[in-house]
Amino acid sequence: MADSESRSAPAAEPTPVVRANPVVCVLLAWLLPGAGHLFLRRWGRGILFFALVLTSVLVGVALEGKLWRMVPGQPLSYLGTLACAGLGIPYVVLRFVMGYDGNVLSQGYEYGAAFLLTGGLMNLLLMLDVWDIAKGLKE
Amino acid sequence: MSHFLLMVLYSLLVSVFFGALWRRGFRDQVILFLQLFVGMVVGGLLIAWLMYPFPPGPPTPIP
Repeated sequence: MADSESRSAPAAEPTPVVRANPVVCVLLAWLLPGAGHLFLRRWGRGILFFALVLTSVLVGVALEGKLWRMVPGQPLSYLGTLACAGLGIPYVVLRFVMGYDGNVLSQGYEYGAAFLLTGGLMNLLLMLDVWDIAKGLKE
Repeated sequence: MSHFLLMVLYSLLVSVFFGALWRRGFRDQVILFLQLFVGMVVGGLLIAWLMYPFPPGPPTPIP
């Protein structure tokens, strides 16, 4: 029975099991998109996720989209800031090094904001994925 | 860049992302990618078509 199964289904690539502190992995994943996966030796996915999040950020910046910041009395701005801050180092560089804020007069202001928010949310999901992998809950 | 191209680019990024995140195995990833990509692009066009009559009145000239 087992023999017939092994003949009918091709052997799957063994996924390397890396023992790592989940907190460190998540921190790395937040700092640089894809870094958590690279640290866990998921090379292909790490590079792909890095490229996807970076592309999203670059398109957002090229469109001069809004980079959310907290505005007292506006709860939605906190959520938007949390999503954008999920970008990690790119967010820090954009916000605090380049002083980027978006250009409200730009035609792509809202579109760009969507790309920047999406990039941050993608990275937040990647942090959860890395946590699961590091805990052994997921391949 | 036109609205449509931006929508396609956005759909592409999100579809590839979730295909790689939620599925293991190339075939399953491609299937999910196609489902999401086609769903978002066709869904966006469908919603745009349904919204076409609104607001009523002559179209505003594009400057």
